[in-house]
Amino acid sequence: MDKKTTQLHKYHLSQKAKFIDFGDWSMPFSYEGTLKEHDIVRSSSGFFDVSHMGRLEIQYSQIEKITKLICSEIIDIPTNKALYSIFTNTDGNALDDVIFWKFDDKIILIPNASNLEKIKSHLVSHNVEFIDKSPDTVLIAVQGPDTIELIQDRFEIPDKFSTNMTESFLYARTGYTGEDGVEIMANNEDAESLLIFLTEKGVKPCGLGSRDTLRLEASLPLYGFELTEDITPVEASLNWTITNKNEYLGSDRINDQLSGESHKVLKKFIINSRKIARTETVGIAGETKGLVTSGNFSPVLNKSIGFILFENMPSHDLIEFDIRGNLIEGNIVNKRFLS
Amino acid sequence: MSDIKYLETHEWYLMKDDEITVGISDFAQNELGDIVYVTLPEVGQEFEKGTAVVEVEATKTVADAYAPMDCIITAVNSRLENEPETINNDPCGDGWMFKAKVNTVDDSGMSYQEYETFVS
Repeated sequence: MDKKTTQLHKYHLSQKAKFIDFGDWSMPFSYEGTLKEHDIVRSSSGFFDVSHMGRLEIQYSQIEKITKLICSEIIDIPTNKALYSIFTNTDGNALDDVIFWKFDDKIILIPNASNLEKIKSHLVSHNVEFIDKSPDTVLIAVQGPDTIELIQDRFEIPDKFSTNMTESFLYARTGYTGEDGVEIMANNEDAESLLIFLTEKGVKPCGLGSRDTLRLEASLPLYGFELTEDITPVEASLNWTITNKNEYLGSDRINDQLSGESHKVLKKFIINSRKIARTETVGIAGETKGLVTSGNFSPVLNKSIGFILFENMPSHDLIEFDIRGNLIEGNIVNKRFLS
Repeated sequence: MSDIKYLETHEWYLMKDDEITVGISDFAQNELGDIVYVTLPEVGQEFEKGTAVVEVEATKTVADAYAPMDCIITAVNSRLENEPETINNDPCGDGWMFKAKVNTVDDSGMSYQEYETFVS
């Protein structure tokens, strides 16, 4: 089957992007190289085409039904705020991690590309009405410390984790890189002018390769790796997202885990070398076995970093990894990778 | 350039008398993306043709470079320890990986033209 491409595929081809298969999608992996693009986002500003992700428009009347499906409080947070949350199943495991953008008159729900159809079915089965705006729109993440200054003559900049809209664009001051920036949803017919605006401002296109090294360095999980239908938000060390005081799918199990029931634990690690402990690498801390969910090189730390899922809470901070037959030591870190 | 030969596993080698210099091809470095770490062999280590000599870590994936023929390592490019990106920048020049004395000559690699056809 041919892979899907975004509405901006012609642009990516014109920029001679290297492509990578990502689920059903063929997406730009890099333009000038992953490390160069990583540096662009950490030092100036870069943009990512993330139109493979979903964009579902939901009316406010549906919010009571949504609150029974996610682990976060959504009703009481102010309009014009963005919310990161997790759709759980009856076992409290993660169906998807998503962003909600609240506006005065509606909510935009942004599921992961690989989970869009699953979330749509899930909403339908729980009688949540929505309109799938994904085919008619693009989603562009503009990220990096210079972003706000570069785009503020065209975009009125909201507070961090807040939303805003113009005639052509819905956007929020959110992202997936650990840097300041905005994510912009535009109608297909407005996409080209947005690209021209960004490139004229010197914002550089960046691919999924640097998006992955950036999100890992920013200590952010990726669905399909850290999050799956086999892990709860508690096990994924995302307790801060659990703010929903009411009953929701799987809340009993999540509450039991919060009350001290033994459970799996996702931890971050650093290896004092550039040798990468990749996905499914075995790591042992004391007596506790773990499997790496994501591992890569951190350009800022100049070390190898990652996430590892342990069977239960490890008693030691020292991890011994078996990297392709070689034993390599790493350390559990409880702080964020970047301060 | 014309004496450089290529393997289907994307290494190149240059044979002079009974010594070979080995690296990975431009195609291979381009496929791997940014190379961040290499595990080089020790001088004196012996390898059979087709066994892994160098481990190449890139942000995208990890790959091995294999011995083009039975050989004993005589030199490694220690510059790669701190500047592994040299392989991306100049794979067939400054990005060479190791030199080795050949035990059993097997000069069956592809010419540049044959390799270009192979990867296209």
